[in-house]
Amino acid sequence: MSKFGIGIDIGSTTAKGLLIDSDMKVCAKHIMLTGAAASQAIDKILEELESQSGLQLDDIAIISTGYGRARVENAEKSVTEITCHSRGVHSLNPEIRLLIDVGGQDSKVIRIGKKGRPEDFELNDKCSAGTGRFLEVMARVLGITIDELGPLALQSDSPSSISSTCTVFAESEVIGHIGAGAKPDDIAAGIHDSMATKIVALAKRVKVVPPVCVTGGVALNPAFRHYLSKHLGTELWIPEEPQFTGALGAAVIALNGKS
Amino acid sequence: MTEKKKEEKVYRQLESNKLLQQIMFQYMLEGHQASEENRLAWVTSGFPVEIPVAMGVGVSYPEQYGAVVGSQKVGPEVCGYAEEIGYSQELCSYARASIGSVEKPDQSPMDGLPTPQALLAGNNICGTVLRWYDAVSEQTGAPVFLFDTPPITDGQPDHHKEYVRNGLDRLVDFLGTTFNTTLTDERMHEVADLSSKALELWNKSLTACKTSPTPLNCADRFLAMAPVVSMRGTELIIDFYETLLDEVEMRVKEGLGAIRDEKIRLLWDNIPPWHSIFRFFNGLAKRGVAFPADTYTHAWSGKLKIEGEGDDLFDSVVSIYSNVYLNKGLEAKIDKMCELIDDYNLDGFVMFSVRSCKRYSLGQLVSKEIVSERTGVPGVVIEGDMVDSRVYNEAQIQTRVDALLEMFM
Ligand code: SF4
Repeated sequence: MSKFGIGIDIGSTTAKGLLIDSDMKVCAKHIMLTGAAASQAIDKILEELESQSGLQLDDIAIISTGYGRARVENAEKSVTEITCHSRGVHSLNPEIRLLIDVGGQDSKVIRIGKKGRPEDFELNDKCSAGTGRFLEVMARVLGITIDELGPLALQSDSPSSISSTCTVFAESEVIGHIGAGAKPDDIAAGIHDSMATKIVALAKRVKVVPPVCVTGGVALNPAFRHYLSKHLGTELWIPEEPQFTGALGAAVIALNGKS
Repeated sequence: MTEKKKEEKVYRQLESNKLLQQIMFQYMLEGHQASEENRLAWVTSGFPVEIPVAMGVGVSYPEQYGAVVGSQKVGPEVCGYAEEIGYSQELCSYARASIGSVEKPDQSPMDGLPTPQALLAGNNICGTVLRWYDAVSEQTGAPVFLFDTPPITDGQPDHHKEYVRNGLDRLVDFLGTTFNTTLTDERMHEVADLSSKALELWNKSLTACKTSPTPLNCADRFLAMAPVVSMRGTELIIDFYETLLDEVEMRVKEGLGAIRDEKIRLLWDNIPPWHSIFRFFNGLAKRGVAFPADTYTHAWSGKLKIEGEGDDLFDSVVSIYSNVYLNKGLEAKIDKMCELIDDYNLDGFVMFSVRSCKRYSLGQLVSKEIVSERTGVPGVVIEGDMVDSRVYNEAQIQTRVDALLEMFM
């Protein structure tokens, strides 16, 4: 086991990097938009980790993950986001058996074994419904920012019904509700409710085994958590920094020297 | 070290491949000759081909042609010719490739298949084949014969057998009138003998893959199954399957694997992605992953002649061709998968959900769960198409397969 480990997670929307020491303490971390050139994001992240930690990174093992994992040239090896998220969450809370990660462009559900390894998983990386992108599109239609969408939805106690499973059709449903004079908070609630149903359908394919953890940028949205918990029928555990679990898992693997 | 040398290092070429290429070439020439002599039929893969063969009718397989289109990486173009005349991208890509190549033979591999004088469709594999052959009939004027095998869920009742058997009698009449030929008992027995012999040899090669390391990997089997699918009942292929079996047995004896360093053994489910077949399987071979068994090449294992059983060949045709597992419930395929995982000592499985083939792919998510539960090994479903590379996303497939492999490390 080495003294430090670096994990770099190049996601479709954001790129994350994390440096931990052998006590699993986070020494440095950075998150930024991936942008069009993943290599620039990677350089920037390494620069940040170096300046925050004051360490020489050259001798520290790097494990890359995320859809852009192959782009991290100085990584020792790349490991899928499925394994990294499992390992990351397991290192924070070994009790977790089901992990739901909702990112900007994809979502995944992973059943985690007792040793922190994935036992089964399902990915949705083909369709924007059930991903952060869905919420972005809907916020735009409602003329608000994505950060305002969740809090607005929480004000409603009668969500509008949005039945389409497709982002494009759901968008026209939302426009229909606006035209019919529905309250914006009800529409916002309906949007989260509909998205939660899609994620639950994905989760059921690998079996819902509590305790359940939610990660990814969308885990920061309180309305999404509310409706997801309601449809799953169980409490959710959210790590302090849900966007970093993939990078954390990669750093743990870097530290231990095996996946 | 050159790329080629590295490739040879992980993956052992079969010597018998040379013979395979020769007989496939000869088969193509025979198809052209039969077409010129007005005695060529196009046949679906699950059709009781022994009957036309015994009646002197030449056969060509559009599904195999689809595989050629896929392997030559021109799926999007050739399927595109069918789409240009109105066929949906949702239609099976084997169907689109064949309709497209009839439409534009000069722009298709091998100038398309030789022109058929009849189209013989068996719906034991799917219902698409009938509509597809109807479409080709419209293009070529060749009549369609449907060999109808209603699905079986729980055993085959007598009235079912009788119905399918009547179909065989109608087939003999149809071929008799279309090609002015007759079926003799003697010829039928000869052909059934040859067909059973080829299948017996093929089955032995398949079963030899229970050994670790496996003597054949997935791509080997998918290539080597071509003759047993398309030339069952002919003398030509016996020599090939004997040579293949010799080579397989030699590998087993000497402990030589199809790949150099076998670490993980997986089951493959469904048709392969023809356009990426070597890239996919050899890529995994480099990481020590072998596929000693698959559900597809094991589907051609029904022998017409079984020693000690009755002599009525038509009865055994009825039973073999109705009991193709695509013609049975999902349960039959699940059982087959579990059996292969146990018998071949496999660590996990990869299910290819083929956009084209609803019949083969439907139910894979449910099957995955049940198979995993019953066998205790993990599996993964990847999505794409066997011919149409436009719906094959390599990065998404890679992530899923990598995640499965990481479960073993
Ligand atoms: S739909 Fe499937 S079974 Fe039918 S012809 Fe196409 S690939 Fe074959």
